[in-house]
Amino acid sequence: MDEWEEEVLREILSFYRGERSELIPILLEIQANFGYLPKEAILFVSEFLNVPEGHIYSVASFYKAFRLLPLGKNRITICRGTACHIRGAHQILQEAEKVLGLKEGETSSDLKYTLDTVACLGCCALAPCLTLDGKVHGLMSPEKIKTVLASLEDGGESDV
Amino acid sequence: MPESFFAGDYMTNDVSIIIDGHRIAAEKGATILEVALRNNIYIPHLCYYPGLKPKGACRLCMVEIDGKELVTACRTEVEDGMVINTWTPKVERVVRPIAELLIANHHATCKDCPGTGKCELQKIRAKLKIQRSRVERLRSPQGALPIIALNRYLDYDPNKCVCCGICIDTCSDINGTGFLYFVDRGYSTKVAFFGDESKCESCMKCAMRCPVGVLIPSKR
Repeated sequence: MDEWEEEVLREILSFYRGERSELIPILLEIQANFGYLPKEAILFVSEFLNVPEGHIYSVASFYKAFRLLPLGKNRITICRGTACHIRGAHQILQEAEKVLGLKEGETSSDLKYTLDTVACLGCCALAPCLTLDGKVHGLMSPEKIKTVLASLEDGGESDV
Repeated sequence: MPESFFAGDYMTNDVSIIIDGHRIAAEKGATILEVALRNNIYIPHLCYYPGLKPKGACRLCMVEIDGKELVTACRTEVEDGMVINTWTPKVERVVRPIAELLIANHHATCKDCPGTGKCELQKIRAKLKIQRSRVERLRSPQGALPIIALNRYLDYDPNKCVCCGICIDTCSDINGTGFLYFVDRGYSTKVAFFGDESKCESCMKCAMRCPVGVLIPSKR
């Protein structure tokens, strides 16, 4: 954790009194600032609240709202709702996993991609679909997802 | 009134209750489960361990009191004149599905299991006469997970864990803060070790108290 991060953390904690019951609000605020719960932050909070780190991990791993790993720059969310499931979401996910070399829910080590699934994106007419950084790409096929991901690769690189 | 006022008559048999038709003299402050077990009346239970605070989590110790209400025997204190039935159709309707689902989520083979013989689930299955065929159809198709090394001294088998929490409570009882915690949730709930490994006294009480042989002293 660098100096800036520690300062943000201190700032967050300055609004709290250090009581056990404040654990979840603190974790939510850390996540809102960092995008995930860094290990160092958990240790920090553990000391601040006088709650064992194992307990904090237990809470953080229980709630879906908390992430323990950072998010990638590009977020690929594949829909596996009923309509997409019937139209082959599984093959789409498999192809994406193959191309990106990631498993569902993982982030690449260079923090470029996060591959996620979601229960329904709400645009079943476009099944099977996925979102790329919030933008919906519908009527996917294993062939099409390759080109979509390739465009991301190019875009991602020109960005750097 | 101060607690010590009652402490004196805790051990005197001053409550009379009826369990399954047997009149039993019990001591005030004891729970139904404690009294029943002490009098050799078996009530299925999984998350209860003598000396630990009863959680009432597994819901297997449900009994019917006074012919109407279902309560957890481990958390209900005896009262004078209580009439308790440990096995009625009403109790069975609640307990049987719980036991079946627990067994369906538990590793299939008892052979070679270090818990076999002292296993509470085996005892429960025998008591409820649960047929293998009833349980097999509920089993998840997911394959076996690898055994996890919690620390130098302990291995943990996630395929068998019933998440009763006895090991966790035992550890926090002995070490104050405790090293064992539940992580994740739902089907993937596991027990994990957190903290300084060197501070674990390897007392092995967690492994000894495990009702199903999930925690295994490491062979390494």
